[in-house]
Amino acid sequence: MQDVRARPSVRAQFRRIFQDPILTVALIGSVIFVGLTIILPLLSMVGASVSTEGAEKLTNYIGSPVYQTIISNTLVMGVVVGAVGTLVGFLFAFVQVKLDVPFKRFMHIMALLPVISPPFAVATATIVLFGRSGMISRGVFGVRYDIYGLDGLTLALSLSLFTVAYLNLKGMMEALDPALDEASANLGAGKFRTFFRVTLPMLIPGIASSFLLIFVESIADLGNPLVLGGNYEVLATRIYVSVIGLYDTTAAAVLSVILLVPSLTVFMVQRYWVSRANVVSVTGKPSGRPDTIKFPPVRWGLFGVVMFLCLLILLIYGTIFHGAFVQVPGVRNEFTLSHFDFVINGIGAEAMQDTTLLSIVATPLAGLIGMVVAFLVVRKEFLGRQALDFGVMLGIAVPGTIIGIGYVLSFNSPITATLPILGEITLLPKLTGGQGLLGGALAIVIVYVIRSTPAALRTGTAALSQIDPAIEEASISLGADNARTFRRITLPLIRPAFLAGLIFAFARSMTTISAVVFLTTPQTKIMTQQILNEVENGRYGNAFAYCVILIGIVMLAIGIMYVLVGSRTGAERRIEGGGR
Amino acid sequence: MSVRSLLRISLLVCFAFVLLNGVVAQETLTVLCTPQEDWCVAQTQAFQEATGIQTSYVRLSSGESLARIRASADNPEFSVWWGGPADAFIAANEEGLLEDYDSEAAEAIPDSYKDLDANWVGVYVGALGFCSNVDVLEELGIDAPTSWEDLLAPELKGFVAMAHPATSGTAFTAFWTIVTLAADELEAEEEGTGYDEDGAPTEAAVDNAFEYYAALHQNILQYTRSGSAPGSLAGQGEIAVAIIFSHDCVKLQEEGFEGILVTTFPEEGTGYEIGGMGILKGAPELEAAKVWFDWALTAAAQEIGPTVNSLQLPTNPDAAVSELAVKLEEILVVEYNFQAAGANRIAITERFDAEIAPAPTE
Repeated sequence: MQDVRARPSVRAQFRRIFQDPILTVALIGSVIFVGLTIILPLLSMVGASVSTEGAEKLTNYIGSPVYQTIISNTLVMGVVVGAVGTLVGFLFAFVQVKLDVPFKRFMHIMALLPVISPPFAVATATIVLFGRSGMISRGVFGVRYDIYGLDGLTLALSLSLFTVAYLNLKGMMEALDPALDEASANLGAGKFRTFFRVTLPMLIPGIASSFLLIFVESIADLGNPLVLGGNYEVLATRIYVSVIGLYDTTAAAVLSVILLVPSLTVFMVQRYWVSRANVVSVTGKPSGRPDTIKFPPVRWGLFGVVMFLCLLILLIYGTIFHGAFVQVPGVRNEFTLSHFDFVINGIGAEAMQDTTLLSIVATPLAGLIGMVVAFLVVRKEFLGRQALDFGVMLGIAVPGTIIGIGYVLSFNSPITATLPILGEITLLPKLTGGQGLLGGALAIVIVYVIRSTPAALRTGTAALSQIDPAIEEASISLGADNARTFRRITLPLIRPAFLAGLIFAFARSMTTISAVVFLTTPQTKIMTQQILNEVENGRYGNAFAYCVILIGIVMLAIGIMYVLVGSRTGAERRIEGGGR
Repeated sequence: MSVRSLLRISLLVCFAFVLLNGVVAQETLTVLCTPQEDWCVAQTQAFQEATGIQTSYVRLSSGESLARIRASADNPEFSVWWGGPADAFIAANEEGLLEDYDSEAAEAIPDSYKDLDANWVGVYVGALGFCSNVDVLEELGIDAPTSWEDLLAPELKGFVAMAHPATSGTAFTAFWTIVTLAADELEAEEEGTGYDEDGAPTEAAVDNAFEYYAALHQNILQYTRSGSAPGSLAGQGEIAVAIIFSHDCVKLQEEGFEGILVTTFPEEGTGYEIGGMGILKGAPELEAAKVWFDWALTAAAQEIGPTVNSLQLPTNPDAAVSELAVKLEEILVVEYNFQAAGANRIAITERFDAEIAPAPTE
């Protein structure tokens, strides 16, 4: 990669960083964090896969037609869901920002809903609605539709994951300088030409990173293929069975290495592409209000498409809500509160408290670490900058099951060191399992953090790369130090990204399953695992009751975060309204 | 960022730790529970009331339980393992994962339902069956299956479900049932080809069972994680026939699927499970585990299941038997060799996972 600006030497870069104590702490802290919580567990897994036994298994898998089908299934699913999810997210964001249509608030809420429930809740509702005896497919249209397989997975996964693209692209579209559109119009370009030649190219980084996140998340997803995969086998479920059923960690490691290849490839392509296509648009210079599109076919056509999707989402969540209050959803529709009784007075209360508490602890940590690393990566030049970014992203690029098993392998016994004078000391106590530190709660919090940080990092870097460094340079020249600049200038500017990161982190922690499924202990129970148990045992009503409560908790938390983080500060107003 | 804000952050971190500490419950008996969740709740709550010992549990399928016990053998998280087919207990015992406990309470249990070396004892018994949705069957134009051959009918393509034998004890029981039937068949053709001198099915019998499951694979919609899950898929009308324990089908009928689900049994004979119980080697709460062990064998403890529609048969002859329970004398059951099943469990589940489960269907 060629940079037009002259680069200071590596030593000079580090000298500059180490002159600033806060920056030093941030950098060293980030590196230790990534090394200990992501790299180490991953190395434990990779280590297992390059053993003699692992290499033999790898050869067998690659050569087997069955596994070739599974690998291609996984890739096809990732690409389809990535594309559909990004498209849906784009449509929602576009209608939200660029069109003057009614029900925007409703659309916004519908777009946020999917991220706040466990994916298999959507999958389960999908079966109730569109399954072979589904309320819609069978009840309304009288067809026995076979939802199991790629089509069902695409529907459930796209609807579960598109929110990432929506939040990402909405933030970027809002940040685009309308002056560019005006300039394009003034130069004689039509709306379409302006959109395809000016607006779209500036959104490419957002589109690409959305696609990446959705691709990687979908191929790593466990809940949906377990519930409605049918005979469409994917790597994630294969890994899950090797681990949970056979405890064949070597096979799991080998399969995850296979799964890592596409994840990391897409990730690299995206990095290269994004870095080339990056456009600075938030300049801090005066700009007007964004222009809305008036052309009726576009305006009402897109409105119709998005409203249809909203109704679909509403239907799915309606099914979840309805199902929580009836005996057997779709079969015996008599009203009952027995599911809530089972969940609240039976086994759910403890899991609910634990999960909420752990998520509350993890959320600010993930948001802050994500933003700090984003700041370091985008704004500072140092050796290993790319590696740091890469390391944090591994938290999401690596399938959750592998992270979970990596944790069990790495942290199931204390990590000790023998020092010359002090003798043996415990560097890190046992974190996972029944007698783990704090009942295994710390390990779960760390997993929540590393699984959420990448989203915060991506939204953070996407937002930061849209902001002209000149604004921060001005702050530095006026005498503020790095930390003050970060806090007073950078953070307020990326506030929407920060907020998105926090919301995502909390919702994700509350709804994640694959990474923590092996880390729950008798002392620390996790709601999603309880829900999966209920789904697995066919008690959809109990599962839906859990989901309703979970959605309630997450909504409340989002409301609180909006109040705490959402309000604009003076710095932001001053910069945006600078010219007036 | 000043010293003050650093201080503020460290305060927050400390606060987080205090919060986390709140999560950790006091010292308890931890049970690894394999039957359905609501039975686990009822059983642990009843024990807590009876003894005053704070009891918590984790619910995992049979295969998952075995995997987790093996993984944490050096430092067990659980003290007692309650429920799930005995094959898994035998497999665990072969690896030295169970603690010997010569409980006096076990004397009440018939010899055929326990390990004579006192490693595990049966707490319930139940037979495998077919659980079918009558509406779906009618639509497909077939009758409820009454033989294992019936499951291979082309009409049932994509309309049969069972669990994955690696995770589910139910599915493994179903597998070993076919092994037993295959061994009987081979033995009838030529003496000595079905069973070896120890009375265990031969490798040829196992191979024949794999052939059967490869054919059945074409009709399977998906392999679930938990053994009872296919039953609810049948109830919802997503599949026609579930291969599950018959008591799980009765439970579903009791809980809303009456008139929708029917239970049938294969005429060749069906397999059955002895729901096992054992204390884990190195149990952190050994004394409490022994109290649980003794208590779980009493008639009173074995009468809790029916209160939550878990209608397995009790192993204690004094315990009352629900009218709804499927009695073993009324159906044809195979000569299920639990010892051989347990010894072959891991090899079979691994082979099933490698050969059958991931294969594409046509």
